[in-house]
Amino acid sequence: MHINGPSGPQAYVNDSLGDGSVFPMGHGYPAEYQHMVHAHWRGFREAPIYYHAGFYIAFIVLMLSSIFGNGLVIWIFSTSKSLRTPSNLLILNLAIFDLFMCTNMPHYLINATVGYIVGGDLGCDIYALNGGISGMGASITNAFIAFDRYKTISNPIDGRLSYGQIVLLILFTWLWATPFSVLPLFQIWGRYQPEGFLTTCSFDYLTNTDENRLFVRTIFVWSYVIPMTMILVSYYKLFTHVRVHEKMLAEQAKKMNVKSLSANANADNMSVELRIAKAALIIYMLFILAWTPYSVVALIGCFGEQQLITPFVSMLPCLACKSVSCLDPWVYATSHPKYRLELERRLPWLGIREKHATSGTSGGQESVASVSGDTLALSVQN
Amino acid sequence: MVVSVKVFKKATPNGKVTFYLGRRDFIDHIDYCDPVDGVIVVEPDYLKNRKVFGQLATTYRYGREEDEVMGVKFSKELILCREQIVPMTNPNMEMTPMQEKLVRKLGSNAYPFTFHFPPNSPSSVTLQQEGDDNGKPLGVEYTIRAFVGDSEDDRQHKRSMVSLVIKKLQYAPLNRGQRLPSSLVSKGFTFSNGKISLEVTLDREIYYHGEKTAATVQVSNNSKKSVKSIKCFIVQHTEITMVNAQFSKHVAQLETKEGCPITPGANLTKTFYLIPLAANNKDRHGIALDGHLKDEDVNLASSTMVQEGKSTGDACGIVISYSVRIKLNCGTLGGEMQTDVPFKLLQPAPGTIEKKRSNAMKKMKSIEQHRNVKGYYQDDDDNIVFEDFAKMRMNNVNMAD
Repeated sequence: MHINGPSGPQAYVNDSLGDGSVFPMGHGYPAEYQHMVHAHWRGFREAPIYYHAGFYIAFIVLMLSSIFGNGLVIWIFSTSKSLRTPSNLLILNLAIFDLFMCTNMPHYLINATVGYIVGGDLGCDIYALNGGISGMGASITNAFIAFDRYKTISNPIDGRLSYGQIVLLILFTWLWATPFSVLPLFQIWGRYQPEGFLTTCSFDYLTNTDENRLFVRTIFVWSYVIPMTMILVSYYKLFTHVRVHEKMLAEQAKKMNVKSLSANANADNMSVELRIAKAALIIYMLFILAWTPYSVVALIGCFGEQQLITPFVSMLPCLACKSVSCLDPWVYATSHPKYRLELERRLPWLGIREKHATSGTSGGQESVASVSGDTLALSVQN
Repeated sequence: MVVSVKVFKKATPNGKVTFYLGRRDFIDHIDYCDPVDGVIVVEPDYLKNRKVFGQLATTYRYGREEDEVMGVKFSKELILCREQIVPMTNPNMEMTPMQEKLVRKLGSNAYPFTFHFPPNSPSSVTLQQEGDDNGKPLGVEYTIRAFVGDSEDDRQHKRSMVSLVIKKLQYAPLNRGQRLPSSLVSKGFTFSNGKISLEVTLDREIYYHGEKTAATVQVSNNSKKSVKSIKCFIVQHTEITMVNAQFSKHVAQLETKEGCPITPGANLTKTFYLIPLAANNKDRHGIALDGHLKDEDVNLASSTMVQEGKSTGDACGIVISYSVRIKLNCGTLGGEMQTDVPFKLLQPAPGTIEKKRSNAMKKMKSIEQHRNVKGYYQDDDDNIVFEDFAKMRMNNVNMAD
């Protein structure tokens, strides 16, 4: 794609040879943007065109699916009354962050077309700021969703968070995303620079000063370790609560002489806990998938073998967190029974078939009585 | 004397199987519990070798439907009894007078059935929701159900299934108890000598719904602080045993400065009157009500009674208790002191008062009734009023869809 870049001495050589891959990274950058390219990247050759094309196509797909999924979530959650609950505001907030992240995609597509960051330093800052706010915001929103679910499920009657509390949490997610996206913007602490194929921007994890290393370490704890710990703890506690509830219900059934049909009820019990474990695991894995690549690359860049960070490798984290922003609406919203019902009602062509039976009768049938017909009949004598 | 008997009636959506029930409230007398007695009428030639099965089930709902995410369900249904009703498994079954009456009236297609609440089964309680919440009610609910099928585990078809919500309630014992509940506390202060003592005595142990509670408060102030105001609350304690949650809500309250401040060395004796009423707590989230089916005659949930020798810890479902709470405000530095006096809030057993008066008369009457049993029934047969649930059934079907 870099062939479309502006003409300069490098571009001229490039044209005459007809194969870009022998040139060092950054040679396609206009002269006035050359200062943006970190020395590290100059040690690599320009990636072959099919790599560019691959990412290009992937990003188009991601962009479309993110707009579709998150747009649908924002539309439905903000317009249907049945979905207007405090907890759902968090899901809405997540969709907003995810859509926000998606606003970078057109910028990327242009950058990839011309082979450098359009807009120079300013363009790079906007790109990275966008990515920083939406990424950190989404990760902490994930953590708050976990916390809210824990509160709701562990104490379903009076434990759930109120509108006021949720609004505070949402404000907090935006505040949380601010410091480590604004500090590099003004180059107070850390800075933004192009990465990967030099068509995307992120914070600088390559400069080996003590100050920058501390920055990378802090942002690692701030946007990865803390939210992940919150998610882990919340879902673990939620799971233990559900297990206790199930056990207590089984005990009550026993007290009332309701002997469960062992096979049936046990299978049911298992499935409640399994279902939750599965759902929690999916969300946790999604978080890992989204943010581990970034953390690994950043930590290696700062503390390890920088040679491992090839342009291709450093493109992957960017791809990972963008794909997760497309998956979020499916994982959070689509597992929401009321949302599915609403989708089915409004967009029948999506082909969602929600089971009506479960919403019609209450809950899973648990157990079966043991009182036999004879004893019944005998005690009606009076 | 003409007495009309109200009978509840509900049919399956296809109208082939119909429930007839003499009442929907069943009373747990603690030592025994009223059985659910009713009759099922099946349209002739409909069954074609299939059977009709009946179930008594209780549903615990302890969370809003809208909060059910991640595959969690906040409701559990326990099937307490299941029985084959048609054909009858025990043709010589003893029928209650109501069943006999109905069977005689409804003809040969009527089949009686009886369900017994198992021991320890909880009372019906509904937890009130905030204003416009129109989800399923939270609490403990009982349902009887009949469906047509080949076996008990047959898939139940909505068109040939009928279910009816019933209530299980507890009534106050005949004897209201002689003991006057009271509590005595005293409070000292960190930086000054002397104590304030507070004694609260209620005029009864058991109140009926709608009755005025009278709490006599005696404060004697032997400290150097003074009491600025007195608050009096009636607190409803709700324990949701299925999720191990408990909370307390004030259902009536007043605050007074009359007679205050109670200066050092002074005493005060005062009686507070409060009436805990559901009507004063409309739309307040989490207030427990006696399982209610219609909006009228709702009352606060009755205190949970347990058999003697058992603790409320053994009770299932939702356990309700009440207390009067007195709070003294001893100023900003003195803080607050409070005490709780437990009492019971219950429904009077029907005819409690007459019972006391006319036990002897009743005995005579019943002898008389037995003497001309036949005449009595004949008389009554024409006065059965059927309360049809046709409209409700339609609604239910719509909701289920």
